[in-house]
Amino acid sequence: MHNGILIQWVSKAVRAITSAQTEALAILEGLKLLSELANGEGLVLSDSLDIQATTPNITDWRAFSEIWQSWKLRVESQGKCRAPDPSPLCCVVLIKSNTAGNVQTEMEMPTAEELEWLETHSLLTDEEEEQQQQEEEEDEQSQSQSPNPIPNPNINNPNPNPRSSKRAREEQEEAPCGNSKDEDEEWLRYSPPPPSSPQPPTKRKHNTAISISRFASDIRGDCFPITGPHGQRVYAKLNPNPNPTTLSQHSPSATAPGLLPQSIHTLSEQVEKNAFSKALQDSIESTNGDQAEAETIATEQLWVDKYAPSSFTELLSDEHTNREVLLWLKQWDSLVFGSHLRATSDDVLSALRMHSSVTQSSKFASNRRFFSKHHGGVSLNDQNVRSPIETSKSNGPHASWSNKCLVDKPPEQKVLLLCGPPGLGKTTLAHVAAKHCGYRVVEINASDDRSASSIETKILDVVQMNSVMPDSKPKCLVIDEIDGALGDGKGAVEVILKMVAADRKGSSEKRDVGEEAQAQAQPRKASSKKGHKVAKLSRPIICICNDLYAPALRQLRQVAKVHTFMQPTVSRVVNRLKYICTKEGFRTNSIALSALAECTECDIRSCLNTLQFLNKKKQPLSIADVDSQVIGRKDMSKSAIDIWKEVFHRKKSKRVRNSVDGQVGRGDDTTQHLYSLISSRGEYELTMDGIHENFLRLSYHDPMMHKTVRCLDMLGTSDFLIRYVYKTQQMSIHAYQPSIAVSMSRLIAQVEKPNIEWPKSFQRCRAMLVEKQETLKTWQRRITPSISRHLSIESFVQDVASPFLHIITPPNLRPVALNLLSEREKDELHQLVDTMVSYSLTYKYSKADPQEKMQKLFADTSEDLPLSLDPPISDFVNFKGYQSQYFALSLATKQILVHEVEQQQILQENRPKHEDRTKDNPRPVVPHRLTNANADADAGKNEKEEMVGFDEELRLKAAPSRTVGPTLAPHKSSRSNSTDFFHRFRKESSSNPQTENARTGKAATTKRDSRPLLFKYNEGFTNAVKRPVKIRDLLL
Amino acid sequence: MEIKVKCNCGVEKCPEWAILELQGVVESQPSIANQIQGLEIGRLCCSSSASSLVNYTFTVGYHELSGTKVSLKKPLLVLKKKKAVQEEGSDSNNDLELEVIGVIRHKILFKGRPKALISKPQVKDKKASDK
Repeated sequence: MHNGILIQWVSKAVRAITSAQTEALAILEGLKLLSELANGEGLVLSDSLDIQATTPNITDWRAFSEIWQSWKLRVESQGKCRAPDPSPLCCVVLIKSNTAGNVQTEMEMPTAEELEWLETHSLLTDEEEEQQQQEEEEDEQSQSQSPNPIPNPNINNPNPNPRSSKRAREEQEEAPCGNSKDEDEEWLRYSPPPPSSPQPPTKRKHNTAISISRFASDIRGDCFPITGPHGQRVYAKLNPNPNPTTLSQHSPSATAPGLLPQSIHTLSEQVEKNAFSKALQDSIESTNGDQAEAETIATEQLWVDKYAPSSFTELLSDEHTNREVLLWLKQWDSLVFGSHLRATSDDVLSALRMHSSVTQSSKFASNRRFFSKHHGGVSLNDQNVRSPIETSKSNGPHASWSNKCLVDKPPEQKVLLLCGPPGLGKTTLAHVAAKHCGYRVVEINASDDRSASSIETKILDVVQMNSVMPDSKPKCLVIDEIDGALGDGKGAVEVILKMVAADRKGSSEKRDVGEEAQAQAQPRKASSKKGHKVAKLSRPIICICNDLYAPALRQLRQVAKVHTFMQPTVSRVVNRLKYICTKEGFRTNSIALSALAECTECDIRSCLNTLQFLNKKKQPLSIADVDSQVIGRKDMSKSAIDIWKEVFHRKKSKRVRNSVDGQVGRGDDTTQHLYSLISSRGEYELTMDGIHENFLRLSYHDPMMHKTVRCLDMLGTSDFLIRYVYKTQQMSIHAYQPSIAVSMSRLIAQVEKPNIEWPKSFQRCRAMLVEKQETLKTWQRRITPSISRHLSIESFVQDVASPFLHIITPPNLRPVALNLLSEREKDELHQLVDTMVSYSLTYKYSKADPQEKMQKLFADTSEDLPLSLDPPISDFVNFKGYQSQYFALSLATKQILVHEVEQQQILQENRPKHEDRTKDNPRPVVPHRLTNANADADAGKNEKEEMVGFDEELRLKAAPSRTVGPTLAPHKSSRSNSTDFFHRFRKESSSNPQTENARTGKAATTKRDSRPLLFKYNEGFTNAVKRPVKIRDLLL
Repeated sequence: MEIKVKCNCGVEKCPEWAILELQGVVESQPSIANQIQGLEIGRLCCSSSASSLVNYTFTVGYHELSGTKVSLKKPLLVLKKKKAVQEEGSDSNNDLELEVIGVIRHKILFKGRPKALISKPQVKDKKASDK
């Protein structure tokens, strides 16, 4: 009977074999296990572990798989099988009482299909969880089974059918291995979780209360923490001695082998034979299946690839661009193919003409026609490759379209740069056009290795090598997504630039060669070029990028011929989509298609992928889908300029449709779109900067300036945020930036196309600020420390600069000779000069451009070399439209001032060092000094000179009246007194060395005998620059 | 020109001299001015340590210098210029005679910064004011 059941199961397994190989293997393994275990022998299993499984959705029949796996586990625990990872087995036991209950109830009614499915999938379950569960299951199973008498398995199964009896067999089969199971338990060294069999529910409950709890304190004795897969943690009681009753219950069944009529060996042999034949059969079937799969895959080709334009005429992109690209490629012909005159082949010409004249409706029909024609063209091109001259002759008469001057020489720009948003067919155009012109396209993609060295060899290979194969076409290099990775892409750009530069040089040499000799010279030159110029461009290179203004492309942009792709019209895209849809038998309407096209911004690739996806799902395309998440949008960030355009530009069409549809949510949609656009761009500072610089150019209706004020307010907020972020590094605050831009956009967006300019003023202003700060700093350093220490440059500009300008440009200064001035005027002049000297100001003949403003401000004369202030102080406080209020000195006055200042400077420099103090005394800005001409500084000096006993007649001669000194106002004398006070003090200390020494000497004489000689250590030298600054220079 | 060098003692018996090399200057107190004759410059002590590195200390004023003995690359000769005893037949020019007084083979080099020996703060004040 048992044998019969086993064979039944085997036959079922054989049936299951046909489903898949892995499943069959699993079943076979199960059979092997069964037989081996029944025989009480271990079996080394290894291949079962190699079966890689997907995770099948086992929820209902998990229990069965667990039963099965428990056997496997047991074998593993005996060490006869290569255990996948025994460590989790011995420490983790999953307790899931509710699941266990479910499992138990469902276990009772297995149907045949479910059983079969389970058996086939039992191995494919997720290992970790399964093993955790299966341990529990195993214990459950053993304990629930153990009370059942073996000959009567149907107690467990209320509805006896062959399958369930088979299951009973299964369970029965388990029974013989009870001892091994006990070994397993010993190995685990802890008590199994409580049996959760439905038959004795009370017992189960009881056990649960004792041995498993959520709290460790509930358990008496040793406990063991267990974490379930869902994070719940329970504690299980540790049972030092496994239940002897279980052992005893199992032991009688251990003597079961005699139940089988045939020996298990013969059975297993039979099974293996079966397995072998099935495996053989299966392998044959699988190869067939692979072929079938391949066929299905072939039919399931992406629509994008399937309907990619294979010929020039099928291109969807802008015709003008197409033709330009083609023309550019054609210009290479002379260099690449060596043909001097190679005209556009006739059929291409006609195709082009017809293509341009074709109406949209008849396009697809005609396309097919062109396609056939085009094939002829390709073959013709191949001929051209082999015998270019011949074809050029044959085609020559027809070459009306091609202009010879262009065909004669390789194009001026050696690199073609195609740029545009994704999905417009840039790559397709490059491929199609290159193929069309008889090139073999070699594409370097973003996925390729793009480091500078590797790409250089690659490009050189493509550009300079010719394939050895006779039918090979010359290569055309297409570098896709050259702007992709900045660091790596740059390598490619650099290599190309280098080659272009080398080519430039070469081409300048080439011009010497006569034009008439060019036809013969071409091949020779081509060969010689390869010889001596290594990095020279002799094959066309087409670069493709999305963002033309990527920083990496800046240089390439200058040397390359740039073509920007425009979006094709929606109708064109829709027509194409419609054509594909009808071909694929996909039901749709043009409204939905146009909505789709609009949504994807005419990205036909995205459109097609969406359509194919929907087709696969057997869903019709509806407008609702377009707005929903069905369409996979390419996660692309637009360039900053595009974002500004989006911000300032209100889409009219959408608005119109809004009103038509009456949908309120549509406005939110645009907001959402803009928001995501800005946030995906990320450079908020730049974005806001651009908005700030451009928004005032918009002609929005704002008579009361409310909008402007609000916008500026928002910009202020944004600026505040940016500053805060920079200060605190809390980048998350940036999240508020897009909403500011969006709200501004809602305020001021216009229907008209905005004229966006790149924001430069911020950079300009910053550069100017740095420059001016530098000027101020150098100026401050030039001023004597006694003055400059009071002068912080920031506060100077903010507080003093404007009044200071008033001071140094007194209005009542007559531009006459010095000796014509009155005393008062002389005094004033000297005061001014003194001020200027102390602040190290002077007038200079301005030459540089930035001082032109100064010229306008200062010099009202028509002199070609106007004088301006040397540190241009007025620049610091000047701004656009600011009319300074101070008096502009005439040129003559300035000249006088310059002279005087120079004189004064020379005088100060000639003064001995220790007399520099005189500079301190005349506080230049103080206006109450009433010295006469020349005497201002000199009077102070004179006092010093008298005291120090220095004779400076030279300078005193300049001072006409020394007698003025005594007649000075009393505060002058007080001032001199004050200086005298310090002076005297100093003099006294230094001029009486004798007394000083006498005083100290007395003390020293006592020590003289003991220490008459002293040692003075000579310090070494350092290279550090030491500049003595006297304290008195800093005082006053 | 021939220079006669006279040596009274033998090669071995020639008295050994030594150079004291100081990183610095020995100055007289300003109060003494130039009357430095017969004054003690300082005290040179030789630490009689067993090791080969003999340490010398030189005390000048209130500074203590420590130095080491360095052998000169080329030994120097200390000569004394003498008026030669007029011999018959000799030139009037050749009345000079150089007598070897000693040989210098070593110098004691004090290259370190001096250590101040401050017994009384008064002294230091004076030094500071002097500077």
